[in-house]
Amino acid sequence: MKNKLINVFALAIFFLTATLFAGGQQGDKDAAPAADLDPNVPGWTLDTSPVEFDWYLHFSWFPNQWGVDPLSQYVTEKTGVDINFIVPAGSEAEKLNTLIAGDQLPDFITIGWWEGFVNDMIEGDMVYALDELAEQYDPYFFKVAVPSRLGWYEREDGHVYGYPNASYSPEDYERYDVPANQTFLVRKDMYEALGKPDMRTPEGFIAALEAAKKMFPEVNGQPLIPFGSHEFGDQGSDSFGKFLQDFLAIPYEEADGTMKDRFADPEYKRWLKAFNDANNKGLISPDIFIDKRAQMEEKIAQGRYFSMLYQRTDFASPQMTLFKNDPDSVYIAVPGPSNSKLDDPTLAAVGISGWTVTLISKNCEDPERAIRFMSYWMSEEGQRDFYYGVEGVTWEMVDGKPQFLPEAKEMMDTDRPAFDKQHGANQTFWMLMDNPMFEQWQPAPVEPFKQMIEWTYPYTVSVSQYDNTEPTPDLDEGIVLGKVKNMRGKYIPALVTAKDSAEFEAVWNEWQQKKADLGYDGVLEYQSEKLEINKAKLGL
Amino acid sequence: MRNHMDQIPLRKLSLKSRIYHQRYLLFMALPALVWMIVFNYIPMYGIIIAFKRYRIIKSIADSPWVGLANFKELFTEGDFSMVMKNTLGIGFMRLFIGFPLPIIFALFLNEIKHAGFKRTIQTISYLPHFISWVVLGGIMMNWLSDAGLFNEILMKTGIIDEPRFFLAEPESFWNIAVFSDVWKELGWGAIIYLAAISGISPALYEAATVDGANRWQKMMHITMPSIMPTVSIMLILAISGILTTNFDQILVLRNAVNQSASDVIDIFVYRVGFKMNRFSYAQAISLFKSVVALILLLGANQISKKTQGHSLF
Repeated sequence: MKNKLINVFALAIFFLTATLFAGGQQGDKDAAPAADLDPNVPGWTLDTSPVEFDWYLHFSWFPNQWGVDPLSQYVTEKTGVDINFIVPAGSEAEKLNTLIAGDQLPDFITIGWWEGFVNDMIEGDMVYALDELAEQYDPYFFKVAVPSRLGWYEREDGHVYGYPNASYSPEDYERYDVPANQTFLVRKDMYEALGKPDMRTPEGFIAALEAAKKMFPEVNGQPLIPFGSHEFGDQGSDSFGKFLQDFLAIPYEEADGTMKDRFADPEYKRWLKAFNDANNKGLISPDIFIDKRAQMEEKIAQGRYFSMLYQRTDFASPQMTLFKNDPDSVYIAVPGPSNSKLDDPTLAAVGISGWTVTLISKNCEDPERAIRFMSYWMSEEGQRDFYYGVEGVTWEMVDGKPQFLPEAKEMMDTDRPAFDKQHGANQTFWMLMDNPMFEQWQPAPVEPFKQMIEWTYPYTVSVSQYDNTEPTPDLDEGIVLGKVKNMRGKYIPALVTAKDSAEFEAVWNEWQQKKADLGYDGVLEYQSEKLEINKAKLGL
Repeated sequence: MRNHMDQIPLRKLSLKSRIYHQRYLLFMALPALVWMIVFNYIPMYGIIIAFKRYRIIKSIADSPWVGLANFKELFTEGDFSMVMKNTLGIGFMRLFIGFPLPIIFALFLNEIKHAGFKRTIQTISYLPHFISWVVLGGIMMNWLSDAGLFNEILMKTGIIDEPRFFLAEPESFWNIAVFSDVWKELGWGAIIYLAAISGISPALYEAATVDGANRWQKMMHITMPSIMPTVSIMLILAISGILTTNFDQILVLRNAVNQSASDVIDIFVYRVGFKMNRFSYAQAISLFKSVVALILLLGANQISKKTQGHSLF
C-alpha cells in the first residue's frame, strides 16, 4: 500500500516535469522597422543612457573584469554600456552546454569560431542575424564591418550571425608582415657551442641532439631534454601534427583540389620515423609525453630543453626569465625539420576566420543597443580606444600621433597583469579586436622576442580557405572525424616509441587501415565540398 | 494521561492511523524525500537519450529515436575491450587490495592501548583523504618523475641503476592507480570499522579474558565476527562499484603513453560525452555501466544473504 502511494506520487511528478521540459519555446519578439537611420551616423551616439549587458566568454582563463580599469570606465561613460563578463569557472563546454540547454544564453557570446557550439546556437535559433539587426537599428554597422569578413561568415541562408576578431584576409598577408606562431627553437648558447648544426634533415637533427646531449648532459644539475614538444592529449600533440606538417610544407589539398590527409603523407612518415630513431637512441625523453603545459613552461624557464617545436607565444614569460639571467641562454628560431626537397616551411597563420566570433543572443532584451555597441567597438574610433586606452593615462599626442606613455609601455612589456588592471588598453579586451587595423599603430617587436617573431615572416602563408571545412559533431561525418582525431593521441606516441622499424611499420599500417575502416574518405569528401565553397567566397 | 495507542503494536494499525501516529517523523523525512525525487529520480527521465540521437538545441522529446544503435556502436568500438580490461583490472585490484587493508588496519589500530598514540596514527592516516586528486595528482607526478622521490629512494638503495619514468610505463599504471588510492583512503576507510568495533559489548571481551583467551584469540573470535555484518555490507557495495574507477585520479595521472592501461569507462564517457559532445552515446555507455553495477549488486547481495545471512535488502 505504501509502495503504491509512492509510485503514484513519483509518476505524477514524472509527468509533470515531462510536460515542463516539452513546453517553454520562446516566440520571437516583433520589432518595429527602422525608420530613417543615417548610415553615416554612428548608432551608438543616438542613445547613451546606461544599459548593462551580460557577455559570455568561452575562455576560462580570462582574468579581467569590466569597470576595474580606466579604459572600460571610459567606454561605459562614453557609450552608456556596462558589461558583466561571464567566464566559466571550470570546464567551458559544461558551462555553455548548461546555458544552451537551459535557454539562459546571456546577451553576447564570444567563442572560438571552430567550436561546434556556434553551429548549434545558429541552428537552434538562439542568436540574432547581425545583418538583420544592423538593417533595423544601426546601418552604420555595414560601414565599419569589413565586407570580406561578413562574406566569409555568411551562411547558406544569406545571414551573418557572428563577427570575428583577429581576422586576416588573404590580402592582408600581402599588405602586412603577419607572424606565425609555429617555430623551431633552440637554446642560443648551446646551438652556437655546437657550431650551429643544420637540423633540417633527419640525420642532421639526430646528430645535433646527440651532440647536445653529450656536450650538455645536465642543466643546473637536472638532465637535459634534447627535444621538446607540445603537450600530448587525446588528439595527439600540435608539435607532432600541424606544426611538423607546416615545417615539412605538406599541402592541405591534393593536386586535383580535394582535401588531403596530411597525417598520411610520406614526408610526415619520414619524420615520425626520425623521431622514432631518436627515441631509440635515448634522445626523446619520456617527459614530453607526461608533462602538461605548466611543467613545460617551468622547464623552458630553466632552459632544460635543447630544441623545441613549439608555439613562440608561450615563451612570453619564461623567455623573459632566461633573458634576465643570461641573454645568451634564450631560445632562438632556426630552420627546423624540412622535407626531402628541403623546401621552405609553410607556416599557417591566423586567417580570415580569425580567432573568436561574437554573437548576440535572442535573450538580449535590448538588441538595438547591443548591435550599436558592436559597431562602436568595430569602428576605427572603438579600436583606437581599446588599443591606446585613455588619453593622459595610457597615451599622449606626440607630433600629432598617439604614443604610449613611457611608464605605460614599460608596464605593458614587463608586468602585463598589472597593466590590464591599471590601464586596460592594448587588447586587454580582445573580443572584437581588429589586428590588421592595429598594424598602423603597432610598435616594432623588441628582444628577446624580436628574433623569433621576425624569423617567421617569410614563411607565413594564408590558409583561410581550409578553415571551417570540418563537419560538425552532429553529422555522421563529424562523428567519424572525432574518432579519427582521437586516434592520433594513441598512434602518434606509439609510432614515436616503437621498438624497431618493423614495429613502426606495423603501427603505421594499422593506423592508416583504421582510418580507412572508419570511413575517413567520406570526411575528406565532405571537406572538399566545403573547400570548393570557401574558395568561391574568397575568390581564389 | 497516557495515550492508549502507545500500547498497540504499530503494524496492527491501519495505514492511515500509522501515518497519523508518525506524522512528525514523516514530516521530518519529507525534505530528504523531495530532494531525492528532484535530484535523483526526475533526472532519470534523461536516460532515454541513450536510445535517441540527442542534440543540445532540441528538447529530449524532440530528438529522433535510434533504437540500440548507440549500444551497437559501443560493443563494436575498437577500444571497448581495452577499456573494459582496464576498468575491470583496476576494479578487481582495488577490491582485493583496497578492500581488506582498512579492515586489517582498523583491527590493529584497535589493539593499541595508548589512546594518544592511537589517535595520532588515526589522524595521520586519514590526512591524505582531504587532499583533492587535482592537487595530489600534481604531487604524484613530481614524486614519480625522473628526479622525483621514488627514483631517488630506489637509486639510493641500489634497487635500480637509472631513473625510471613510472608514468610513462603502461605496465606500472594499475599499480600506481591502486596503491596511491589505497594510501590516500586507508585511514578514512577504517573509520567505519572502528565505529563498528567500538559498538561491541565489553562483556564479551571480559568473558573471553576469564576463559583465558589471549589478545590474538580475542581479535579473531570476538572482534572479527562482530564486525562481519559491516564487512559484508561494505563488500556488497564495493562489488557493485567495481566498474566505477576513480575518475579524478585517473584523469590527472593518465597521459599519451600510458593510455593503453589508463583508459577506463569513466574516462571514455568523459571523452566522448564532453569532448565530442555526443551525449546520447555517452549516456548509452553510462547506462550499460549502471546495469552491470546493478547486476553485480543484486548478485553479491544474494550470495551474501545465502552464505552469511547479512544483506542490504
